Formats: sequence, structure tokens, C-alpha cells
Amino acid sequence: MLKTKSGSFYFVILGHHDNPAFEVEFLPAGKAEPKDDYHHLNQFIAHAALDLVDENLWLSNNIYLKIVDKFNEWFVSAFVTVSHLRFIMLYDIRQEDGIKNFFTDVYDLYIKFAVNPFYEPNSPLQSSAFDRKVRFLGKKHLLS
Amino acid sequence: MAQCVQSVQELIPDSFVPCVAALCSDEAERLTRLNHLSFAELLKPFSRLTSEVHMRDPNNQLHIIKNLKIAVSNIITQPPQHGAIRKLLNDVVSGCQPAEGLVANVITAGDYDLNISATTPWFESYRETFLQSMPASDHEFLNHYLACMLVASSGEAEPMEQFSKLSQEQHRIQHNNDYSYPKWFIPNTLKYYVLLHDMSAGDEQRAESIYEEMKQKYGTQGCYLLKINSRTSNRASDEQIPDPWSQYLQKNSVQNQLISRKGLSRSLFSATKKWFSGSKVPEKSINELKNTSGLLYPPEAPELQIRKMADLCFLVQHYDLAYSCYHTAKKDFLNDQAMLYAAGALEMAAVSAFLQPGAPRPYPAHYMDTAIQTYRDVCKNMVLAERCVLLSAEILKSQSKYSEAAALLIRLTSEDSDLRSALLLEQAAHCFINMKSPMVRKYAFHMILAGHRFSKAGQKKHALRCYCQAMQVYKGKGWSLAEDHINFTIGRQSYTLRQLDNAVSAFRHILINESKQSAAQQGAFLREYLYVYKNVSQLSPDGPFPQLPLPYINSSATRVFFGHDRRPADGEKQAATHVSLDQEYDSESSQQWRELEEQVVAVVNKGVIPSSFHPTQYCLNSYSDNSRFPLAVVEEPITVEVAFRNPLKVPLLLTDLSLLWKFQPKDINGKDNEEVRELVTGEPEMIGTEVISEFLINNEESKVARLKLFPHHIGELHILGVVYNLGTIQGSLTMDGIGALPGCHTGKYSLSMSVRGRQDLEIQGPRLNNTKEEKTSITYGPDRRLDPIITEEMPLLEVFFIHFPTELLCGEIRKAYVEFANVSKCPLTGLKVVSKRPEFFTFGGNTAVLTPLSPSASENCSAYKTVVTDSTSVCTALTSSASSVDFGIGIGSQPEVIPVPLPDTVLLPGASVQLPMWLRGPDEEGVHEINFLFYYESVKKQPKIRHRILRHTAVICTSRSLNVKATVCRSNSLEDEEGKGDNMLVFVDVENTNTSEAGVKEFHIVQVSSSSKHWKLQKSVNLSENKDAKLASREKGKFCFKVIRCNEREGATQSSEKYTFADIIFGNEQIISSASPCADFFYRSLSSELKKPQTQLSMHTEKHSVEDAVSLIQKCNKVDLNIVILWKAYVVEDSKQLILEGQHHVILHTIGKEAFSYPQKQEQPEMEPLKFFRPENTTATSRPSLEQLSNLIKTSLHYPETFNHPFHQKSLCLVPVTLLLSNCSKADVDVIVDLRHKTTSPEALEIHGSFTWLGQTQYKLQLKGQEILSLQLKACFVHTGVYNLGTPRVFAKLSDQVTVFETSQQNSMPALIIINNV
Repeated sequence: MLKTKSGSFYFVILGHHDNPAFEVEFLPAGKAEPKDDYHHLNQFIAHAALDLVDENLWLSNNIYLKIVDKFNEWFVSAFVTVSHLRFIMLYDIRQEDGIKNFFTDVYDLYIKFAVNPFYEPNSPLQSSAFDRKVRFLGKKHLLS
Repeated sequence: MAQCVQSVQELIPDSFVPCVAALCSDEAERLTRLNHLSFAELLKPFSRLTSEVHMRDPNNQLHIIKNLKIAVSNIITQPPQHGAIRKLLNDVVSGCQPAEGLVANVITAGDYDLNISATTPWFESYRETFLQSMPASDHEFLNHYLACMLVASSGEAEPMEQFSKLSQEQHRIQHNNDYSYPKWFIPNTLKYYVLLHDMSAGDEQRAESIYEEMKQKYGTQGCYLLKINSRTSNRASDEQIPDPWSQYLQKNSVQNQLISRKGLSRSLFSATKKWFSGSKVPEKSINELKNTSGLLYPPEAPELQIRKMADLCFLVQHYDLAYSCYHTAKKDFLNDQAMLYAAGALEMAAVSAFLQPGAPRPYPAHYMDTAIQTYRDVCKNMVLAERCVLLSAEILKSQSKYSEAAALLIRLTSEDSDLRSALLLEQAAHCFINMKSPMVRKYAFHMILAGHRFSKAGQKKHALRCYCQAMQVYKGKGWSLAEDHINFTIGRQSYTLRQLDNAVSAFRHILINESKQSAAQQGAFLREYLYVYKNVSQLSPDGPFPQLPLPYINSSATRVFFGHDRRPADGEKQAATHVSLDQEYDSESSQQWRELEEQVVAVVNKGVIPSSFHPTQYCLNSYSDNSRFPLAVVEEPITVEVAFRNPLKVPLLLTDLSLLWKFQPKDINGKDNEEVRELVTGEPEMIGTEVISEFLINNEESKVARLKLFPHHIGELHILGVVYNLGTIQGSLTMDGIGALPGCHTGKYSLSMSVRGRQDLEIQGPRLNNTKEEKTSITYGPDRRLDPIITEEMPLLEVFFIHFPTELLCGEIRKAYVEFANVSKCPLTGLKVVSKRPEFFTFGGNTAVLTPLSPSASENCSAYKTVVTDSTSVCTALTSSASSVDFGIGIGSQPEVIPVPLPDTVLLPGASVQLPMWLRGPDEEGVHEINFLFYYESVKKQPKIRHRILRHTAVICTSRSLNVKATVCRSNSLEDEEGKGDNMLVFVDVENTNTSEAGVKEFHIVQVSSSSKHWKLQKSVNLSENKDAKLASREKGKFCFKVIRCNEREGATQSSEKYTFADIIFGNEQIISSASPCADFFYRSLSSELKKPQTQLSMHTEKHSVEDAVSLIQKCNKVDLNIVILWKAYVVEDSKQLILEGQHHVILHTIGKEAFSYPQKQEQPEMEPLKFFRPENTTATSRPSLEQLSNLIKTSLHYPETFNHPFHQKSLCLVPVTLLLSNCSKADVDVIVDLRHKTTSPEALEIHGSFTWLGQTQYKLQLKGQEILSLQLKACFVHTGVYNLGTPRVFAKLSDQVTVFETSQQNSMPALIIINNV
């Protein structure tokens, strides 16, 4: 069902209704998009991890929850903001620090976009600038 | 795990029951077969004891066994085969589906409300079958045969012999090396002798005697006489006898299949076994076993004896003893590293520990974990591992340890069995949802995984069910890829299960969701959808068209147009632009059209707009007023523009696209038909429907389709929607370039697959916001744009313009022709045209006796009516007169509404009329859009449609030509040529402001005409030498004309609207300025000038006498002189010379004030600062200005220009001077003439210093209205020189006014006199 893709990442920001507000995938440079259509599986795994995120939330004082779930070769880490927005990262090669820094930087970035009065909370983040910046952060923290 | 029928305390003992073999004689077998049962089946309903069984354990303690159950089965000498078991399990699962209409539980967790069935009977059936079909193995004895029933029939010839045969047979099976299967618990298997007796056939006496014989031989304990009845009941159908076998039969039929399959292979297998009856193969397998799971014990090994003891205890529910035995055995096995044995002991030790009454020790879950791990990883025995997991998970569930149970279940999913994985994943999902805080998302995910596995295992219904259950969690959250995946699977599975409606709706969902899928994926989805859909529609080919999901229709953007398609141009003819779907909606212009229509309707209805009036709307859109049913005319097409959008990344091809409608015909009399027929598409004699054969919408494209209906009958039409075949195009998905092609091509694209369906057009009306109720709630008004009422025939006008220019010079006059054609079958009348710019065009005045010439005949002629004159008459005016009423400009008339002078006022069907139309380029340069609204009525009055309209927008680009500036001032001379009356001078400055780009070489001023009620031009006072009045680019010319009053006779006898025209000609042709078109444009410009707000004056007059006086004073400054400058422009265009004509108007109101031909651009004041206080009431200046007063009395001095005086003879020179005072106003004026020098400035002193007036220095006079008075004065000079006599100061006031406005009458020009000495 799953093909191993070393060094691949799938990042999603989840709104309060378990809805994806923003999704992005990071694939290692030079790696072509895999032919298999596995994208929906990323969504399934990330979504399923939410139950464990909720559970882990009460066990930890940190907003960064290390590995909350695992499915086949995928690890799932999470970051829960103060407003209970959830950042979920799927990855197949452990890279704790990079992910933690990525989460923190995306959080900063998100706050800047969320204060925009025209942004309705929980709605999909469609700003291309946000997308660009998140991709940049991904390159910086995850793929380097 | 889901809820089960059996509790775990029931489940485990039932799963491990003492096994009894049954060995029947052929005759006994035959006897049971009469009832369609095997012997084992026959016993099945009676295999559980309802009474307690008492037993003494090794410690001689009494032990009670409850609900003891035994399993009787016919001896099978081959171990069950893996494939067969797999098949059996598959059949069991697929045969067990949730009951129809099962009420699902509603579980609420967080935001989620889920409908979940709490039970999973297919899992229980699977588990039961799985546990029953476990093959017996050597490391455990639980399902080894504990006893054997030997069955013979009373009908046999030698029953006792048969029993001993059977006994031998059993012995042979157990102890002969040919049979490694079945397994037997103990070497001396307990035997039980059963004599079967058929009550309906056999001799009971004999049976009894045989039974006695048996008891004697085998002992009473082990014998039994079983009486059965094989008689077929005659009353079977109507007697309701409970059938204890029925519940087992279904399952058994499955098992029988299995057995019969086995039977096939048995002979084959035993044959091969005989040929290779060496011991190599089993040895090898023993070795393998040893390698993988350690030691292999011989059957009589003491470790195994303990295990056997444990199993026996377990089977008789003595769990305490069983646990201790298992525990002991486990230790031994572990010591010997006999892993398989150890795992078995661990498993059963854990189960026994759990089942121990009173629970002396906690359930050792780690035993189970070790066992599972060993089975799976060391022994590679998934069947045992699975059994272990099933038991452990059930135990954990009973202890509410759902999380652990789920982990256990998930861990056992593997690639080797999809069915097992599917079932375990589903149970894991149920574990998640049954947790104290339900893990909904985990549940959903595992349901998806289970569904995936079910589908791989070929369990389509279960797969579908899992996906549907999971869908509840993912739905509508924005997980579009996941949702698509689920929908796709649901669609596929539904399709293969022939649940076509579900399949369609699932695929539909994928397509209408804002998809993130790739183009290829979408193409695949679309094809799949179309394929499924096609199957659905083939099932019911005559059913109503189903709704199609694609393409999207923006219903509110639907536009409806009533009328024919219009050709914009036909040769030289240019059709009126009217209304078309190609025009964008513009609120400003639609408001203008509305006003124009209101204006003309008001004129038609004597100034009042009827309350029933609604502006005619030919094109309905989301901005138009759609609250009423629109009116369409029979035989005139209705075009509906539908806005499609293709959300997919693949193109969509619609074929045979047409509108879907419903029609209620009406009688010609207007009465409803008694039977209201509702007709739908396919009645071309009522309503014709246009079909677009192909309509392609490219990927992610928005495109409109225009669909026509042709109503042939009156009635009520309801346009319901569109109907079409939806398909995609074959071949490559990238369709670059094809988008450029129009959609309507026949056979352009090869259609891969298409389905026919419909989409409804439902338009929501505007949100209502009028009443309080509407404001506080959300209500929407109706939108009836798609429900036209087809009314009776109406006339239909077409208007064509011939030679209609697009470019004009400002003020240029051009003659064009308009053709009015009635293209309907009804005569039309009352034709009018209304425009906000009536000064732009004219059809000629009523006096014009011009017969409409054909356009070609007048091509090179002047637009004006001209008369050749001789050159001698130059400089003197030729006069004529005309009344403005003749030109449509009268009191109270609306100059904007112009009746079209149709020859007979009626235009008959098919008839057309060409009328000349003169145009005058607007005075402002630039692009002008001029709206014409043609109004017409039917001769026969129609109740529903009173009138019809036709719109035309002309676009004219004007370029600068001439600027004319004129002033009028009082002439100093008091008489006209005839020596009487008033006269004035008009100065006309003409500047050629044309930029050479327009190709104008030069302008010739050919004629200057005046038009006034009271004044006329008399002659030209030629100031410049430019006699031929040519103006090259940027040149300026000045003209001066003398103006006199018209003859009183003329003014008195004629009506007040009579204007006198006076023409001064510079060429050799007189343009009759009082005729069309010159006079038309003059009057039109006059009326538009008069419309401009300039009524400050009239507002004041009513209230105060002071202001009354002012007005009087002002009035005498008023003139009503209008100057018309007629010109020709010589234009070189394509090396050909053209002569253009034109006219400019200057309207002079006030003496001394400059007036312009072109509209003065008013400097728009900067935004005024906001005032936060109320400005004080500034008293309106009621005082007349100096300038106005100075015009009250006109003065002139009459004296000799040079005066020779012999100063040496007489030192004083006396010169008589006449001061003429002329009252310009109609009122009496008191005049004071003061001759005293008023030396105001030293400069003035220098000039005036040296002469003096003699005699009376001040005169007080009264002048009657328009009176001229001469005053004889004497000036006295002492030196020669040049003197200015203009020193008398004149003061004037109106006689009847108390208030005196005194001011000096300043002579603008010095009155110079030369005094010479002789």
C-alpha cells in the first residue's frame, strides 16, 4: 500500500473541525513525484493521528509533541498551538530538530497571516505568499 | 471490538469442547440420509447438556460442569486443507451481512455524530467457523477425538457383526500408520455403540432384541438405541413443527460442500501418498519443525502427558487444575526450548487463568503476547497466532482494555490473508470507537483499511459498508483526496454490487467536489462515472432524465432574450443596435433607456405615466426586474443563455444540448383551455426547440450556450432546464487550440462515451428587504425570467440607417436616411423616436416640402436647401421667417420626443419607408454615444403589450472645427438705415480650431444668419479684408454685423413663436436658414440652451419690488439674438477633395456679454470644504450691477469731427454738441445729466482740462420707454487741439421706483474732436 520514500514530508495545518487548512508536501530534491497515487494516504494518516494528538496533549507540557503516531514507515509528529490549531507532520526519516524548528517558524508565520482581519479562522489558507514561505521553511529545516 | 452475542465466558468453553468421532455403517448412513442429515448433524441440536454434570477431580473434589457441550463429527481421515478452509471462511463472511433496516447506534464523539452498527455478526461467524475448522495438531490435544460413536442400523442383516466391523475400523484408523489423521486423545479410545432404528420402517421388536444383545456384549453404559422417524410427512406444509436442525443446516450445507470437495481430493491424495509411502517427507517436515520451533516430543513424552492432563481439565471446565497443569507444562517446554509447545501452553494458561472462577490472579496478557509472537515469528503458524489473538482480544475487550485489544488486532494484520486482516482491522476500529473517549478518527482510518482489505479479499459488500461508515467522519471536512478515494471505492463497489444509484452518487460527488486530483485522475473518474451512469440509464431507458452533476451551471447568470437575432449590417444598411445578448449590462445606460421610455410613454398618455407601465425588457438578467412574468410574442424566438463552468481539468463535451420546458397553451380567445395540458419537450408545433449538436467546454473553462425556443402558440411557457448528453472527448487530454473553435460543430470530436441527462435552472430571486418581516427574516422574491407568457402577435419594427456617419466635425451637418420596416404581420403606428440629444438629428420640419429622395440621388448635393443668388446682394441680409412650432419646438412640448413623419402614420406589414435624417455633429469634440428609442404601437390594441420599443445607440466621433465667439453691443448711432428704431452691433470671432489631422484644409464661412423674434441682421460691417471669409488652420476671423429691430408690423401680427431669419451671404448661394435642416438644428440648439438652468432671475422677481426693478433693468440688457454661422470645410481625403458643411449657433442673451458656440467648460470647483455651521443668510444682491445700469440709457454725442476756428479773431471757440439720450428700456427713466467735470485722476485732468461746457450744467429729464431725447449743449475751447467730449455724466433711475440706483453712464469710447486754428 505504501512505497517507502526516504526523506519525504507531508505537513498539514488542521482547523478546529479537523479540517485541513493548509497542506504541503516536501520531497527530497531530485526525487520525482512518485507515480503511485499515495497522496490520499497522507491525509488518512494525518487525520487518524489526531486522536493520539488529543491524547498526548494531556500528557505533555510542551506544545511540540514528538512522535505521536506511527503508521507503517511513517512517523507522525504534532505541534498544538495555543488556539488549539494542530500542525501535523508525516515523515519517514526521523529528524526531530528540523521538524521542531519548522513547526516553530511556521507558527510565527501563521500568526502573521491569522491576524489578517479578512482571514476567517479555520478556512483554507490560500495565500500564495504563505505557501511560498512555508515551502522555503521546509527547504531550510527539513530538506537541507 | 464489536459487541458479540456470546460473552467471553461462553465463547471460550464453546470453542474448546470434547470432540467425539462418529463412525457409521453404510446402512446407518443411508438411514440418516432419508432425513437429509448426516448422523453428526442429526445429533447437533442435542449436543449440549441442559443439566449439570458432576465429576470428581484427582483430589476427589466434586466438580460441576455446566452447559457441557460435545462436538460430534463424522470421522474425516484427512486434515482439512488450507485452501478449503479459506474458501469456507470466505463464504461464511460473505454469507453474513448486516440485516436490512438494522437500526444503527448513534455515537457522539466530539464534533462527530456517527451511525455505527454495534454488532458484527460476520466476525462472530468467522470466528466460530475458524475455531471449529482448526486442524488438530500434535502439540495440543484440545481437538483430538476423545471418544468414538459406532453407529449401525437395526435394519442391517447382521447388526452385531457390523458393530465389531466398525470397532475394527476405528482401531485401524487410530493405530494404522496409513492414517496420521484424525488425532486421538488417548490410545484406547472410548467407544459408544448406537443402534439406529427407523420407527416408520423397521421392526421394533427386532431392534429391541438387538439392543439387548448389544448391552450384553458391550455393557449397558456404552450402548444406546436411537429411534428416528424417516417417514415423509404428508402434512408437512401446513404443520408448524419446530425444526431443531434448521439453524444448523445452512452452515452445514457450506460444510458439506467443503467435505465433498475434500472427498474429491481425498482419493487423489491417498493415492499419491501410497506411492511415496517412504518416510522421507514427514521426516523432513519434522526437521523443519525442529529447526524453527525447537524440540519435537514423542507422543508418549511425560511433558506431553501434563499438557494432555491440562487439556482434559480444560475441556471439562476445571480451570484451576488446567491452569496449574498448563503452567507446569509451560515451564518444562520453555526449559526444553520447545517453542511451539511452550506457546501453546502459555496461550491456554492465560485463558485458564482468565476463566478461573473467582479470578484468583489477573489475566496474564503477557503470556498471550509471548504466545502470539512465538506462533507468528518463530513457528510461522499464523492460524495459531490468529486463534490466540482472537481469544486474547475478546478477553481484553471483556476487561474494557480496548486499546490493548486494538493493538493486538492490528499487529496480526499481514499480507498473507486479506480476509483475516480485514476482519481484525474492523474489530480494531470498533475497539477505537468503544474506548472511554472514543477515537473517532482512528476508527475511521481503520475502517478504511478494513474496507481496503475486504475489497482485496473480494468481500465487496463488506468493503462498501466499511467505506460508507468511514465516510461519515471524512465528509465535508476538506480532505478532498481522502474523500475522493472513499467515494471512488464506494462507487466502484456499488457498481459491482449493482447498486447503481449509489455508484452514481458517489462518482458524482467526486466530480462536483472542488477536486485536487490530477487531470488524468479526473479523466478516469469521469469515464468511470459515465460508464456507471450509462448502465443506470440503460436499466430504465424510458425513465425521467436524471440530474447530471456537470458542468456547473451558474443559474443566476442565466440571461433571457426575447426577439430575433439581428444582423448588424446589411450592405450599406446599418441596423439599429437594439438589445442583444452581446451587450454587457450597464446600470447607467439601462436607467437612461428606462427614462427615455418613460418620457415617450408620458407624452403618449398626455403627460402621465400610467400606473400599469413597466419598462419594456428584452433582455433579462440578474440585474433586471424579474418579479413579473415576462411577455414574449408568439413567433418570436426566445433565447436563453446558460452559463456553464467546467470545474474539471479535462474537457467536457455536451451533445444534443437543448432547453427543457413545460407549456400550457391557451385559446386564442385568451381563455384557459379546459384541460390544462402540460407539454414537455417534443411538441414542435407548439414550441420549437433548437438543439446544439456539440458544445465543448475546455478544462476549467466558463462558457455560455445560447439556446433558442420558437413559440408557435400563445400560453404560459416554463423553461425548466437543459437536457444534453454529457461526455468527454477521446484521446489526449490536453486540448490546446481546440478551445478557439466554437462549440457548435457537428462531428468534430469523437465522443468516447456519453450519457443523457438534465440539469434544472433554478434561479433564486432577490433578497426581500421591504417589510419588517422581510428584514428580520431571510426571504427571497420570485425570479420569473424563465417563465414567459407567450402573447398574441405584435408588430415588429426594424430600423436601418443608410449613410450614417461615424465621424463628424463639430457642428457638421450630414444627411442620412433611415429605413423603417415592419417585419411582422401586424400593422404598426404611433412611431416616435425619443433621444436625450434631440439637437443631434432631425427628420425635417413640417414645412419642409421635401419629398423623400432616394439616398443615391442626393449624394453629392448639399444637405441644405439653397438658392443661387447674384453676388451684388452680398453684405445685405435676405430675410425670411419661420415659426418654431413648425419645427417641433413649442411651449410645453417635449423636444426629446419626436414623432417620425411616416407618410400614412401607419406602417403596413412588410412595408418599409425611407426617410431623410439630418445629423449635426455635437459641439463637443470626442466620442458621443447617442441613444435613440423608437416607440411604436399596434394598430389593434393589445391588453398585455401596449407598445413596443426598439433601441439604437449611435456612436459618433467628432473632431474640432470652429469656435465662434460673439458679442453684441449697442451701436453709438441711434438710427438704422431707415432712420428709425434701435440698432446694435454684433461682433463675431470665428477661429479654426481644427487640427490638421482631420484633413481639413480650410473653412469657408459661407453665410451668417440671425434668428430672433425681435432682431435681425441688417448688413455686414466688414472689418477685415478677408472678404472671401476663408480660415486656414488656427486662423481667426472677425466679422461685424449691424443688427436692427424687426418691423413692428411683423412682430405684432405674427405669433410670439415667430422667428425672423436674416441671411448674410458670403458666397453665391443662399442657404435658406428658415428651412430644414438649418432651422431645425437652430431650434433644437435653442431649446436645449433654454433648458439649461438660468432662472435665478425669475425666481427673485415675484417677491420684492426691488427685485422687480432689477429685473426690469436687467431686461433692457437682454436681447434674444441668435446667430447661425454656416460654413463649408474643404477636406482632402485620399487625394480627393470633399466639401463638408456645417453650422454653429451662438445664442446671445445679454448685451456686452460674450457668448460662445461651444459649451464652455465649467471648471469643476475643487471639493468644497465641509461646513459645520449654517452659513448666514447672505442677502441676495438685489442691486443691479453697474454694467446693467449702464445699459439703461444709451447716450451719443453728435458734433463735427473737426472744427475750424480763427482763434486770432475770437479767442473763445464755441462748438454746438447734441447729446442724444435714448431709453433702451420699456420703462420710464429719470435721467440726470451732469456736465461738471469730475476730475478724478490727474491723467483725466490733462485731457479734459482745457475745455468747458457752457450753459446749464445739470439737466433733470424723464425719458419714456424707448424715447429718444436730444439735448443741445455747447462746448467752449480756448486752444487748438484734440479733445475728448465724452465727459458728461449721466445718472439714471427708474421713475416709479423709490429706491434710487444712481450711477454714471459711462461712455466706453472717447468722443474726440479736433479744433483747428484758421
